[in-house]
Amino acid sequence: MDNTTHFGFKDVATEDKQNLVRGVFDSVASKYDLMNDVLSFGAHRLWKRYTIASSNVKTGDKILDIAGGTGDLAIAFRKKVGESGHVILSDINAAMLGEGRKNLINKGIFGVDFVQLNAQFLPFADNTFDCVSIAFGLRNVTDKDQALAEMHRILKPGGCLLILEFSKTDSEFLKKFYDFYSFNVMPTLGDLIADDKESYQYLAESIRKHPDQETLKNMVLDAGFGFCEYHNLSGGIVALHKGIKV
Amino acid sequence: MQHFALEQALNYLIQTGAINLKPLDNKTIRFSLKDLPLDVNFICTNNRIFVVSDTSQHSDVNISLSAGVFFALFKGEDLTDLLRQDKIVIHGDVKIAQLLVDILQSVDIDLEEVLSQYTGDIVAHKAGKIAKNFKQAVQNSSNPIDTIKDGLSKLMITPVVSKLYKNKHH
Repeated sequence: MDNTTHFGFKDVATEDKQNLVRGVFDSVASKYDLMNDVLSFGAHRLWKRYTIASSNVKTGDKILDIAGGTGDLAIAFRKKVGESGHVILSDINAAMLGEGRKNLINKGIFGVDFVQLNAQFLPFADNTFDCVSIAFGLRNVTDKDQALAEMHRILKPGGCLLILEFSKTDSEFLKKFYDFYSFNVMPTLGDLIADDKESYQYLAESIRKHPDQETLKNMVLDAGFGFCEYHNLSGGIVALHKGIKV
Repeated sequence: MQHFALEQALNYLIQTGAINLKPLDNKTIRFSLKDLPLDVNFICTNNRIFVVSDTSQHSDVNISLSAGVFFALFKGEDLTDLLRQDKIVIHGDVKIAQLLVDILQSVDIDLEEVLSQYTGDIVAHKAGKIAKNFKQAVQNSSNPIDTIKDGLSKLMITPVVSKLYKNKHH
Protein backbone atom coordinates (compact mmCIF):
# COMPACT_ATOMS: atom_id res chain seq x y z
CA MET A 1 0.00 0.00 0.00
CA ASP A 2 1.28 3.49 -0.92
CA ASN A 3 1.98 5.47 2.25
CA THR A 4 2.58 8.77 0.54
CA THR A 5 0.33 11.72 -0.11
CA HIS A 6 0.73 15.10 -1.73
CA PHE A 7 1.84 18.28 -0.06
CA GLY A 8 1.39 20.78 -2.84
CA PHE A 9 3.22 19.24 -5.80
CA LYS A 10 5.54 17.21 -3.56
CA ASP A 11 4.94 13.63 -2.50
CA VAL A 12 5.44 13.21 1.23
CA ALA A 13 4.91 10.44 3.76
CA THR A 14 1.25 10.40 4.83
CA GLU A 15 2.14 10.81 8.49
CA ASP A 16 4.25 13.88 7.70
CA LYS A 17 1.59 15.94 5.89
CA GLN A 18 -0.22 17.06 9.02
CA ASN A 19 2.96 18.56 10.48
CA LEU A 20 3.88 20.21 7.19
CA VAL A 21 0.44 21.83 6.92
CA ARG A 22 0.72 22.89 10.53
CA GLY A 23 4.00 24.60 9.71
CA VAL A 24 2.35 26.54 6.89
CA PHE A 25 -0.45 27.83 9.09
CA ASP A 26 1.78 28.52 12.08
CA SER A 27 3.70 30.75 9.72
CA VAL A 28 0.77 32.62 8.14
CA ALA A 29 -1.66 32.83 11.11
CA SER A 30 -0.93 36.40 12.16
CA LYS A 31 -1.29 37.78 8.61
CA TYR A 32 -4.01 35.36 7.45
CA ASP A 33 -6.92 37.81 7.19
CA LEU A 34 -4.83 40.53 5.59
CA MET A 35 -3.46 38.08 3.01
CA ASN A 36 -6.93 36.77 2.24
CA ASP A 37 -8.16 40.28 1.54
CA VAL A 38 -5.15 41.12 -0.60
CA LEU A 39 -4.94 37.86 -2.56
CA SER A 40 -8.66 37.57 -3.30
CA PHE A 41 -9.24 41.32 -3.74
CA GLY A 42 -11.78 40.99 -0.92
CA ALA A 43 -13.83 38.41 -2.80
CA HIS A 44 -13.45 35.84 0.00
CA ARG A 45 -15.91 37.93 1.99
CA LEU A 46 -18.53 37.57 -0.74
CA TRP A 47 -17.88 33.82 -1.07
CA LYS A 48 -18.34 33.38 2.68
CA ARG A 49 -21.43 35.56 2.67
CA TYR A 50 -22.97 33.35 0.00
CA THR A 51 -22.02 30.27 2.03
CA ILE A 52 -23.83 31.61 5.09
CA ALA A 53 -26.88 32.56 3.04
CA SER A 54 -26.96 29.05 1.53
CA SER A 55 -26.77 27.31 4.89
CA ASN A 56 -30.45 27.60 5.85
CA VAL A 57 -29.24 27.89 9.43
CA LYS A 58 -31.92 28.93 11.89
CA THR A 59 -32.27 30.21 15.42
CA GLY A 60 -31.31 27.50 17.90
CA ASP A 61 -29.18 25.44 15.49
CA LYS A 62 -25.93 23.69 16.45
CA ILE A 63 -23.06 24.50 14.11
CA LEU A 64 -19.54 23.17 13.77
CA ASP A 65 -17.11 25.24 11.71
CA ILE A 66 -14.07 23.10 10.87
CA ALA A 67 -10.75 24.70 9.90
CA GLY A 68 -12.50 27.89 10.98
CA GLY A 69 -9.27 29.78 11.46
CA THR A 70 -9.85 33.43 12.17
CA GLY A 71 -13.58 32.91 12.63
CA ASP A 72 -15.30 34.67 9.70
CA LEU A 73 -17.97 31.98 9.33
CA ALA A 74 -18.33 31.38 13.08
CA ILE A 75 -19.11 35.06 13.66
CA ALA A 76 -21.83 35.03 10.99
CA PHE A 77 -23.25 31.72 12.24
CA ARG A 78 -23.32 33.02 15.81
CA LYS A 79 -25.52 35.91 14.71
CA LYS A 80 -27.89 33.55 12.90
CA VAL A 81 -28.36 30.92 15.61
CA GLY A 82 -28.90 33.44 18.41
CA GLU A 83 -28.63 32.84 22.12
CA SER A 84 -30.41 29.49 21.95
CA GLY A 85 -28.01 28.14 19.34
CA HIS A 86 -24.50 26.80 19.68
CA VAL A 87 -21.48 27.48 17.46
CA ILE A 88 -18.14 25.70 17.73
CA LEU A 89 -15.13 27.18 15.99
CA SER A 90 -12.53 24.49 15.42
CA ASP A 91 -9.15 24.21 13.79
CA ILE A 92 -6.31 21.72 13.86
CA ASN A 93 -3.84 24.56 14.23
CA ALA A 94 -3.46 26.20 17.65
CA ALA A 95 -2.03 29.42 16.20
CA MET A 96 -5.02 29.85 13.86
CA LEU A 97 -7.45 29.07 16.65
CA GLY A 98 -5.69 31.65 18.82
CA GLU A 99 -6.14 34.24 16.06
CA GLY A 100 -9.81 33.28 15.84
CA ARG A 101 -10.31 33.68 19.57
CA LYS A 102 -8.58 37.08 19.50
CA ASN A 103 -10.65 38.17 16.51
CA LEU A 104 -13.97 37.23 18.12
CA ILE A 105 -13.10 38.92 21.40
CA ASN A 106 -12.04 42.07 19.54
CA LYS A 107 -15.38 42.09 17.74
CA GLY A 108 -17.32 41.53 20.94
CA ILE A 109 -18.60 38.12 19.86
CA PHE A 110 -19.11 35.75 22.77
CA GLY A 111 -20.85 32.42 23.16
CA VAL A 112 -18.66 30.59 20.63
CA ASP A 113 -16.70 27.56 21.82
CA PHE A 114 -13.20 26.85 20.54
CA VAL A 115 -11.98 23.31 19.93
CA GLN A 116 -8.65 22.19 18.50
CA LEU A 117 -9.36 19.09 16.46
CA ASN A 118 -8.42 16.99 13.48
CA ALA A 119 -11.21 16.82 10.86
CA GLN A 120 -10.53 13.09 10.43
CA PHE A 121 -11.41 12.34 14.06
CA LEU A 122 -14.26 14.56 15.19
CA PRO A 123 -14.81 14.28 18.96
CA PHE A 124 -18.60 14.56 18.85
CA ALA A 125 -21.49 12.12 19.13
CA ASP A 126 -23.44 10.93 16.10
CA ASN A 127 -26.29 13.17 14.86
CA THR A 128 -25.23 16.26 16.83
CA PHE A 129 -25.10 19.21 14.41
CA ASP A 130 -27.56 20.95 12.10
CA CYS A 131 -24.75 22.30 9.97
CA VAL A 132 -21.05 21.56 9.50
CA SER A 133 -18.93 23.97 7.48
CA ILE A 134 -15.36 23.90 6.24
CA ALA A 135 -14.07 26.87 4.28
CA PHE A 136 -10.72 26.66 2.50
CA GLY A 137 -9.69 23.80 4.74
CA LEU A 138 -10.58 20.49 3.10
CA ARG A 139 -7.69 20.58 0.65
CA ASN A 140 -5.27 20.53 3.59
CA VAL A 141 -6.81 17.42 5.12
CA THR A 142 -4.71 14.30 4.60
CA ASP A 143 -7.57 11.79 4.28
CA LYS A 144 -10.50 13.71 2.82
CA ASP A 145 -12.77 10.67 2.55
CA GLN A 146 -12.38 9.92 6.23
CA ALA A 147 -13.04 13.56 7.14
CA LEU A 148 -16.19 13.63 4.99
CA ALA A 149 -17.43 10.41 6.61
CA GLU A 150 -16.88 11.97 10.03
CA MET A 151 -18.78 15.10 9.03
CA HIS A 152 -21.64 12.91 7.83
CA ARG A 153 -21.64 10.99 11.10
CA ILE A 154 -21.95 14.02 13.38
CA LEU A 155 -24.64 15.74 11.31
CA LYS A 156 -28.28 15.20 12.25
CA PRO A 157 -30.54 13.70 9.59
CA GLY A 158 -31.51 16.71 7.50
CA GLY A 159 -28.24 18.40 8.47
CA CYS A 160 -26.27 20.34 5.92
CA LEU A 161 -22.57 20.18 5.03
CA LEU A 162 -21.02 23.24 3.42
CA ILE A 163 -17.63 22.99 1.73
CA LEU A 164 -16.24 26.25 0.40
CA GLU A 165 -13.03 25.55 -1.44
CA PHE A 166 -10.88 26.56 -4.37
CA SER A 167 -11.82 24.60 -7.45
CA LYS A 168 -11.39 24.42 -11.23
CA THR A 169 -12.48 27.01 -13.74
CA ASP A 170 -13.68 26.01 -17.21
CA SER A 171 -12.74 29.32 -18.74
CA GLU A 172 -9.45 29.08 -20.67
CA PHE A 173 -8.83 32.80 -20.30
CA LEU A 174 -9.51 32.76 -16.57
CA LYS A 175 -7.37 29.63 -16.17
CA LYS A 176 -4.35 31.28 -17.84
CA PHE A 177 -4.73 34.44 -15.79
CA TYR A 178 -5.26 32.44 -12.59
CA ASP A 179 -2.23 30.21 -13.22
CA PHE A 180 -0.01 33.24 -13.77
CA TYR A 181 -1.47 35.00 -10.75
CA SER A 182 -1.21 32.07 -8.35
CA PHE A 183 2.28 30.87 -9.29
CA ASN A 184 3.88 34.29 -9.75
CA VAL A 185 1.96 37.02 -7.96
CA MET A 186 0.72 35.12 -4.89
CA PRO A 187 4.11 33.83 -3.68
CA THR A 188 5.64 37.26 -4.29
CA LEU A 189 2.91 38.98 -2.28
CA GLY A 190 3.35 36.31 0.39
CA ASP A 191 7.03 37.17 0.50
CA LEU A 192 6.42 40.93 0.66
CA ILE A 193 3.54 41.02 3.14
CA ALA A 194 3.93 37.90 5.28
CA ASP A 195 7.63 37.31 4.70
CA ASP A 196 6.78 33.76 3.64
CA LYS A 197 7.03 32.84 -0.03
CA GLU A 198 6.97 29.06 0.47
CA SER A 199 3.61 28.98 2.25
CA TYR A 200 1.92 30.82 -0.59
CA GLN A 201 3.65 28.62 -3.15
CA TYR A 202 2.11 25.69 -1.25
CA LEU A 203 -1.28 27.42 -1.35
CA ALA A 204 -1.14 27.65 -5.16
CA GLU A 205 0.03 24.04 -5.51
CA SER A 206 -2.50 22.62 -3.06
CA ILE A 207 -5.34 24.25 -5.01
CA ARG A 208 -4.21 22.45 -8.17
CA LYS A 209 -4.08 19.11 -6.35
CA HIS A 210 -7.58 19.51 -4.88
CA PRO A 211 -10.37 17.47 -6.53
CA ASP A 212 -12.48 19.28 -9.13
CA GLN A 213 -16.16 20.04 -8.60
CA GLU A 214 -17.60 16.77 -9.90
CA THR A 215 -15.00 14.62 -8.13
CA LEU A 216 -15.66 16.32 -4.81
CA LYS A 217 -19.41 16.01 -5.33
CA ASN A 218 -19.01 12.26 -5.78
CA MET A 219 -16.78 12.07 -2.70
CA VAL A 220 -19.51 13.79 -0.66
CA LEU A 221 -22.13 11.36 -1.96
CA ASP A 222 -19.80 8.40 -1.30
CA ALA A 223 -19.44 9.60 2.29
CA GLY A 224 -23.14 8.88 2.73
CA PHE A 225 -24.85 12.17 1.94
CA GLY A 226 -28.19 11.76 0.15
CA PHE A 227 -27.84 14.88 -1.95
CA CYS A 228 -24.99 17.07 -3.05
CA GLU A 229 -24.85 20.03 -5.37
CA TYR A 230 -22.27 22.69 -6.01
CA HIS A 231 -22.35 26.29 -7.08
CA ASN A 232 -19.39 27.81 -8.87
CA LEU A 233 -18.35 31.22 -7.64
CA SER A 234 -16.09 33.63 -9.53
CA GLY A 235 -16.11 31.45 -12.62
CA GLY A 236 -15.29 28.25 -10.75
CA ILE A 237 -12.16 29.55 -9.04
CA VAL A 238 -14.11 28.73 -5.91
CA ALA A 239 -17.02 26.32 -5.48
CA LEU A 240 -19.52 25.83 -2.70
CA HIS A 241 -20.55 22.19 -2.26
CA LYS A 242 -23.67 21.58 -0.25
CA GLY A 243 -24.39 18.07 1.02
CA ILE A 244 -27.57 17.03 2.77
CA LYS A 245 -27.77 14.05 5.09
CA VAL A 246 -31.03 12.19 4.70
CA MET B 1 -28.43 29.22 -8.72
CA GLN B 2 -31.92 30.21 -9.82
CA HIS B 3 -33.52 28.33 -6.93
CA PHE B 4 -31.48 30.21 -4.32
CA ALA B 5 -34.03 32.99 -3.72
CA LEU B 6 -36.93 30.53 -3.56
CA GLU B 7 -35.12 28.46 -0.93
CA GLN B 8 -34.36 31.63 1.03
CA ALA B 9 -37.97 32.78 0.88
CA LEU B 10 -39.39 29.41 1.92
CA ASN B 11 -37.05 29.05 4.88
CA TYR B 12 -37.71 32.59 5.98
CA LEU B 13 -41.42 31.75 6.09
CA ILE B 14 -40.71 28.56 8.05
CA GLN B 15 -38.57 30.48 10.54
CA THR B 16 -41.27 33.12 11.04
CA GLY B 17 -43.90 30.43 11.55
CA ALA B 18 -45.85 31.28 8.41
CA ILE B 19 -45.37 27.75 7.04
CA ASN B 20 -45.95 24.52 8.90
CA LEU B 21 -43.63 21.93 7.40
CA LYS B 22 -44.57 19.01 9.63
CA PRO B 23 -46.94 17.31 7.14
CA LEU B 24 -44.08 17.21 4.64
CA ASP B 25 -41.37 16.12 7.05
CA ASN B 26 -38.78 13.84 5.40
CA LYS B 27 -40.45 14.08 2.00
CA THR B 28 -38.64 14.85 -1.22
CA ILE B 29 -40.65 16.30 -4.07
CA ARG B 30 -39.20 16.74 -7.52
CA PHE B 31 -40.32 19.51 -9.87
CA SER B 32 -39.37 19.08 -13.52
CA LEU B 33 -40.16 21.62 -16.20
CA LYS B 34 -40.55 19.92 -19.57
CA ASP B 35 -39.54 22.86 -21.74
CA LEU B 36 -36.87 24.50 -19.59
CA PRO B 37 -33.73 23.23 -17.86
CA LEU B 38 -35.26 23.57 -14.42
CA ASP B 39 -35.31 20.30 -12.51
CA VAL B 40 -35.13 20.56 -8.73
CA ASN B 41 -35.84 18.59 -5.61
CA PHE B 42 -37.61 20.15 -2.66
CA ILE B 43 -36.20 18.28 0.35
CA CYS B 44 -38.30 18.87 3.45
CA THR B 45 -36.28 17.86 6.49
CA ASN B 46 -35.13 19.09 9.91
CA ASN B 47 -37.84 21.77 9.79
CA ARG B 48 -36.43 23.43 6.67
CA ILE B 49 -36.61 23.09 2.92
CA PHE B 50 -33.60 22.56 0.71
CA VAL B 51 -34.11 23.28 -2.96
CA VAL B 52 -31.36 21.41 -4.82
CA SER B 53 -30.56 20.63 -8.41
CA ASP B 54 -29.28 17.14 -7.51
CA THR B 55 -32.10 14.91 -8.73
CA SER B 56 -30.12 11.68 -8.86
CA GLN B 57 -31.72 10.25 -5.73
CA HIS B 58 -35.18 8.85 -5.22
CA SER B 59 -37.97 11.35 -4.64
CA ASP B 60 -41.34 10.59 -3.02
CA VAL B 61 -43.29 12.53 -5.62
CA ASN B 62 -42.43 13.64 -9.15
CA ILE B 63 -44.25 16.64 -10.59
CA SER B 64 -43.76 17.28 -14.29
CA LEU B 65 -45.19 20.33 -16.01
CA SER B 66 -44.48 23.08 -18.54
CA ALA B 67 -43.06 26.47 -17.61
CA GLY B 68 -46.39 28.17 -18.33
CA VAL B 69 -48.25 25.81 -16.02
CA PHE B 70 -45.52 26.25 -13.38
CA PHE B 71 -46.17 29.98 -13.27
CA ALA B 72 -49.92 29.46 -13.36
CA LEU B 73 -49.54 27.21 -10.33
CA PHE B 74 -47.56 29.90 -8.52
CA LYS B 75 -50.26 32.44 -9.31
CA GLY B 76 -52.82 30.28 -7.55
CA GLU B 77 -54.20 27.98 -10.29
CA ASP B 78 -55.91 24.93 -8.82
CA LEU B 79 -53.78 21.77 -8.92
CA THR B 80 -56.79 19.48 -9.39
CA ASP B 81 -58.00 21.50 -12.37
CA LEU B 82 -54.57 21.32 -13.97
CA LEU B 83 -54.48 17.57 -13.35
CA ARG B 84 -57.89 17.15 -14.98
CA GLN B 85 -56.70 19.11 -18.00
CA ASP B 86 -53.60 16.86 -18.23
CA LYS B 87 -51.39 19.93 -17.94
CA ILE B 88 -49.49 18.46 -15.04
CA VAL B 89 -48.25 14.92 -14.42
CA ILE B 90 -47.76 13.62 -10.91
CA HIS B 91 -46.10 10.33 -10.00
CA GLY B 92 -46.60 9.52 -6.34
CA ASP B 93 -48.90 10.74 -3.62
CA VAL B 94 -51.00 13.62 -4.97
CA LYS B 95 -51.75 14.77 -1.42
CA ILE B 96 -48.05 15.42 -0.81
CA ALA B 97 -47.84 17.30 -4.10
CA GLN B 98 -50.85 19.36 -3.07
CA LEU B 99 -49.23 20.22 0.27
CA LEU B 100 -46.08 21.50 -1.43
CA VAL B 101 -48.08 23.45 -4.00
CA ASP B 102 -50.05 25.05 -1.15
CA ILE B 103 -46.76 26.12 0.41
CA LEU B 104 -45.39 27.48 -2.85
CA GLN B 105 -48.60 29.40 -3.42
CA SER B 106 -48.27 30.88 0.05
CA VAL B 107 -44.97 32.49 -0.96
CA ASP B 108 -46.88 35.70 -1.46
CA ILE B 109 -44.23 37.66 0.37
CA ASP B 110 -42.84 41.10 0.76
CA LEU B 111 -39.63 40.34 -1.10
CA GLU B 112 -38.00 43.50 0.22
CA GLU B 113 -38.50 42.30 3.79
CA VAL B 114 -37.09 38.83 3.09
CA LEU B 115 -34.03 40.01 1.24
CA SER B 116 -33.20 42.74 3.72
CA GLN B 117 -32.41 39.93 6.17
CA TYR B 118 -29.53 38.89 3.97
CA THR B 119 -28.42 41.79 1.88
CA GLY B 120 -29.29 45.04 3.62
CA ASP B 121 -32.01 47.56 2.90
CA ILE B 122 -30.61 49.06 -0.30
CA VAL B 123 -30.45 45.75 -2.13
CA ALA B 124 -33.80 44.76 -0.71
CA HIS B 125 -35.28 47.93 -2.12
CA LYS B 126 -33.84 47.07 -5.52
CA ALA B 127 -35.27 43.56 -5.17
CA GLY B 128 -38.63 45.07 -4.41
CA LYS B 129 -38.44 47.04 -7.63
CA ILE B 130 -37.52 43.86 -9.49
CA ALA B 131 -40.46 42.09 -7.86
CA LYS B 132 -42.85 44.86 -8.85
CA ASN B 133 -41.65 44.71 -12.44
CA PHE B 134 -41.46 40.95 -12.43
CA LYS B 135 -45.05 40.13 -13.36
CA GLN B 136 -44.96 42.43 -16.35
CA ALA B 137 -41.50 41.20 -17.37
CA VAL B 138 -42.59 37.57 -17.25
CA GLN B 139 -45.62 38.34 -19.41
CA ASN B 140 -43.46 40.13 -21.97
CA SER B 141 -40.57 37.66 -21.95
CA SER B 142 -40.35 34.65 -24.19
CA ASN B 143 -38.24 32.92 -21.54
CA PRO B 144 -39.42 33.61 -17.97
CA ILE B 145 -36.46 31.74 -16.44
CA ASP B 146 -34.04 34.18 -18.08
CA THR B 147 -35.99 36.98 -16.46
CA ILE B 148 -35.60 35.31 -13.06
CA LYS B 149 -31.90 34.66 -13.67
CA ASP B 150 -31.28 38.30 -14.64
CA GLY B 151 -33.03 39.48 -11.50
CA LEU B 152 -31.09 37.13 -9.26
CA SER B 153 -27.77 38.01 -10.91
CA LYS B 154 -28.39 41.66 -10.03
CA LEU B 155 -29.10 40.68 -6.45
CA MET B 156 -25.92 38.59 -6.19
CA ILE B 157 -23.74 41.40 -7.45
CA THR B 158 -25.15 44.37 -5.56
CA PRO B 159 -24.51 43.47 -1.89
CA VAL B 160 -21.08 45.08 -2.13
CA VAL B 161 -22.66 48.31 -3.31
CA SER B 162 -25.12 48.11 -0.46
CA LYS B 163 -22.39 47.69 2.12
CA LEU B 164 -20.39 50.61 0.76
CA TYR B 165 -23.50 52.73 0.76
CA LYS B 166 -24.25 51.83 4.35
CA ASN B 167 -20.71 52.59 5.48
CA LYS B 168 -20.81 55.98 3.84
CA HIS B 169 -24.13 57.02 5.24
CA HIS B 170 -24.20 55.62 8.76
